Amino acid sequence: MTRTRRRAVLIFVMPFGLLFTLFYLVPIGYAIGQSLYVVRRTGTFGPAHEVFGGLAQYERVFSDTPFWQSVGRVLAFGVVQVPVMLGLALVLALLLDSGLVRGRRFFQLAFFVPYAVPGVVAAIMWGFLYSPNLSPFKPVTGAVDLLSADLVLWAMANVVTWVYVGYNVLIIYSALLAIPAELYESARLDGAGHLRIAWAIKIPLVRPAIVLTAVFSIIGTLQLLAEPQVFRSFSSAVSSTYTPNLTVYSTSSIPNFNLAAAFSVVLALATFVLSFAFLKTVQRRGIQ
Amino acid sequence: MRATLRAVSALLISSLALTACSSGDDGQPAASACAPSAGGPVNLTYTSWIPGIEEVVKVWNAKNPNIQVKVQTGPNGNGGTYQNFFNQLKAGNAPDLGHIEYDALPSFRVQDGLFDLGKCDIVAKAKDKFVPWTWNQVSLGDQNAAYGVPQDAGPMAMFYRVDLFQQHGIEIPKTWAEYAAAAEKVRAAGGYITNFSQSDINQFAGLAWQAGGRWFANDGKEWTVNLTDDKTKKVAGYWQDLINRKLVSTVPPWTTEWDNAYNSSQAWTWISAVWGANSIATGAPKTSGQWRVAPMPQWSAGESVAGNWGGSSTAVFKSSKHPYEAAQFALWLNTSDEALSLLNEKANLYPATVAGAGLPALAKGVAFYGDQKIYEVFAQASKQVTPDFTWGPTMTATYANASDGFKKAVSGQGTLVDALTAAQSSTIQTLKSQAIPVKG
Amino acid sequence: MSPAAAPKTRESLLSRSAAMLVMGVCTIYFLVPVWWLFVGSSKSRGQFIDTDPLWFAEFRLFDNIGDLLAYRDGVFLVWLANSLAYTGGAALLGTLFAAMCGYALAKFRFPGREILFNVVLSGVLVPATALALPLFLLFSNFAATNTFWSVFLPSLVNPFGVYLARIYAAASVDDELLEAARLDGAGEVRTFFAISARLMFPALVTIFLFHFVAVWNNFLLPLVMLSDERLFPVTLGLYSWNTQVNQLPELRGLVIVGSLLSIAPLVVAFLSLQRFWRSGLGAGAMK
Repeated sequence: MTRTRRRAVLIFVMPFGLLFTLFYLVPIGYAIGQSLYVVRRTGTFGPAHEVFGGLAQYERVFSDTPFWQSVGRVLAFGVVQVPVMLGLALVLALLLDSGLVRGRRFFQLAFFVPYAVPGVVAAIMWGFLYSPNLSPFKPVTGAVDLLSADLVLWAMANVVTWVYVGYNVLIIYSALLAIPAELYESARLDGAGHLRIAWAIKIPLVRPAIVLTAVFSIIGTLQLLAEPQVFRSFSSAVSSTYTPNLTVYSTSSIPNFNLAAAFSVVLALATFVLSFAFLKTVQRRGIQ
Repeated sequence: MRATLRAVSALLISSLALTACSSGDDGQPAASACAPSAGGPVNLTYTSWIPGIEEVVKVWNAKNPNIQVKVQTGPNGNGGTYQNFFNQLKAGNAPDLGHIEYDALPSFRVQDGLFDLGKCDIVAKAKDKFVPWTWNQVSLGDQNAAYGVPQDAGPMAMFYRVDLFQQHGIEIPKTWAEYAAAAEKVRAAGGYITNFSQSDINQFAGLAWQAGGRWFANDGKEWTVNLTDDKTKKVAGYWQDLINRKLVSTVPPWTTEWDNAYNSSQAWTWISAVWGANSIATGAPKTSGQWRVAPMPQWSAGESVAGNWGGSSTAVFKSSKHPYEAAQFALWLNTSDEALSLLNEKANLYPATVAGAGLPALAKGVAFYGDQKIYEVFAQASKQVTPDFTWGPTMTATYANASDGFKKAVSGQGTLVDALTAAQSSTIQTLKSQAIPVKG
Repeated sequence: MSPAAAPKTRESLLSRSAAMLVMGVCTIYFLVPVWWLFVGSSKSRGQFIDTDPLWFAEFRLFDNIGDLLAYRDGVFLVWLANSLAYTGGAALLGTLFAAMCGYALAKFRFPGREILFNVVLSGVLVPATALALPLFLLFSNFAATNTFWSVFLPSLVNPFGVYLARIYAAASVDDELLEAARLDGAGEVRTFFAISARLMFPALVTIFLFHFVAVWNNFLLPLVMLSDERLFPVTLGLYSWNTQVNQLPELRGLVIVGSLLSIAPLVVAFLSLQRFWRSGLGAGAMK
């Protein structure tokens, strides 16, 4: 590599590299450092001292039943919500692309609007829509308590789906747009219908985009925070440790920074392992 | 790129080192005595989420060119501001003054974050201006100390629908036994006597406070946690019975659903604090003129004991370089007639001072309550609050644990006592994980 | 695409109606809550509880907006402006940086390239919530919390953008074109701005939009960093009002009108950028 090119690479990489190091890597290092300390103090109001505690905080994390229950809860959530949401997004994207639909611009905008609603605001809105007495859908909400312990997880799944379907439609739809039209022309001439073309040509070609959206949904699921936090004020079933991120938040407001840091590190690792495993599995199957 | 990697790892290591040394030194050069700052005007920062606080501070700034206060506002305490205070204390950049509710003061005391205003003679001298139990809330067991200046109080009473009670010929209950009996009649008439706040454990704390429950004690050596003392169990059992018999509704508090329960005459009473007067008036506009206020029901006939729900203080953080000036401001804010009147007008705060009960605004009849002089009832109640209720050092966690259990109890899994028992043991766990000495 | 090629048979009419039906139902699902928000914003507090949630009572939308904008000396407008500065600025610069880095990863071979790429890719998987608190403590060491920069600078980083930019650059920038530019003696940086960035432009719009929305929605970082209300973005402002509803129930109405207004800028951004959504994310495949 020539000197000028080396300099060019440096110019291209530096701004991002520097910011990434400062605002991603260093904080992560700092959090890991924090998680290795424990607090000591003397007397009931004695000032705290942080001393090195090795993996003591991690022992707490691993013996914390509510935390692992919450992990199980978001996994159950993800297993159901992610396929439903992506399935719906795929159908809508295929319909947008099929030529069967008029007013595509309008629909694209309509699907995108919920994504423009900030997560906190979306949760507040749906809280109203679920309420037994004030909801516009009283016949439903009066008969079934959507905010009860059994259903509230799925009530939140609906909020997440509502917000993110449009986003995923956009990703998949733009992947569909990138497919050269000639690819289906011949199939159409052979008499293949819309369904057949969608199934045999389009879906395999946009599979990578679907994988992408799936990974993001998995990450998003493990990070659930805004929705359950807002729902705590509507529903008796959402506890302060309902999702892993809520646990992190409520631990740091005790305040127990070191334990909160350990929770975050474990959570980040779990997210990482899970999405990585998903990618690897999908890639292996892609090769076969 | 190898160089970059090396740089990255160097930064990572340095950040670890940074953790190590920042954990070593405990505190920064802050004023330890309460003396006037030398030379020049003083600028103070004050964080509060009280509505309209800016306008109150404007009045002070106009009169005190040498002590200028800058207000920062944010979400309410548990909504994020306390978390910010803790973060800032750890980082050493807390504001000079902060708004802290009584139940959170011990948490900040445990983090060694508060300046002891007892060292300021102006504050020590002002002690008698405050209703005695509010002073206990800020002295945290040491009569010469003051970890904040009491700002407002939340003496409790019973709001009730006079029209509905009269219409159905039901007596206004004076004891809890009468209250439970009335609950049956109200239910028979199609209403609920009240809504049991499933997640607002603070209200329950006020009820337990009235009954004589004492949740925390601190003998200087270690804490005692007692969320399940007999008095508290009595209160929990009482409400559990009403829940079991479906005589109370259990809508989540502070929602429009809950407003609606009052607005549409489903709920007939509310045992609440003085600031609740505004909550009903704004949440249930259709019922204007129909509400009245009576003292809280009593556990034994003839007694007059009240509980307290809420109330807050203005604290000075330990990192402040101008505690004397901060104390001056805090005293003005919480004792002067002009500030107290404004706080009452803007944010419905009920003063913690003895003289505050006589504010002109508090002497008037209130139209929403059929022109009843409701603040006279609360002024009485304020005198009847028992003075020795102590909050624990990790109340956010205790509240979260207890309200998790309460929520289960109202949806039929377990009981309120179960919830308190669980909160008891998890509170002890939380204290231990914070290395705070605790019995049990 | 060639929708017109479909013959107009009866089957096609059937599929058309079925397709429109599905789209219609979904549109209702997506828009009813927003409609509800719009209707709710037009009511007084009393009517909000009492009247049909999906239809207007007395139309007070403009009065409500007036109240919102007048509240506390128009702090809401300050929040909106802040949000635009945080998100617009961060998304513009962040997209540029991500594009440059992704371009270098795609078009140059240099030692450590794969490691760099993998580290960045791992960055995508780190929950942003895990970063907020450490960031606060780090900024505190430089007394830089509660400043515009404490929110702006961390918002510039968008590892996902780098990932997308790399893929787009690989797909849309022709190596021969670059070689030709080099032979002409154009510098690498100039080539990037003059040729490559243009070729990548539709993709950059995509990255920009994603970045914009991510920063717009992020409220944990500002929540932790900022204590001066005048620096808040609109999400944090609305959140903090919502936590004060206990004390001041009047705020609930403002939260609802404010929510409605906070959606508007994003819809405008989307409408104005929509025409660039062409060559899209098709290349954004996990390869």
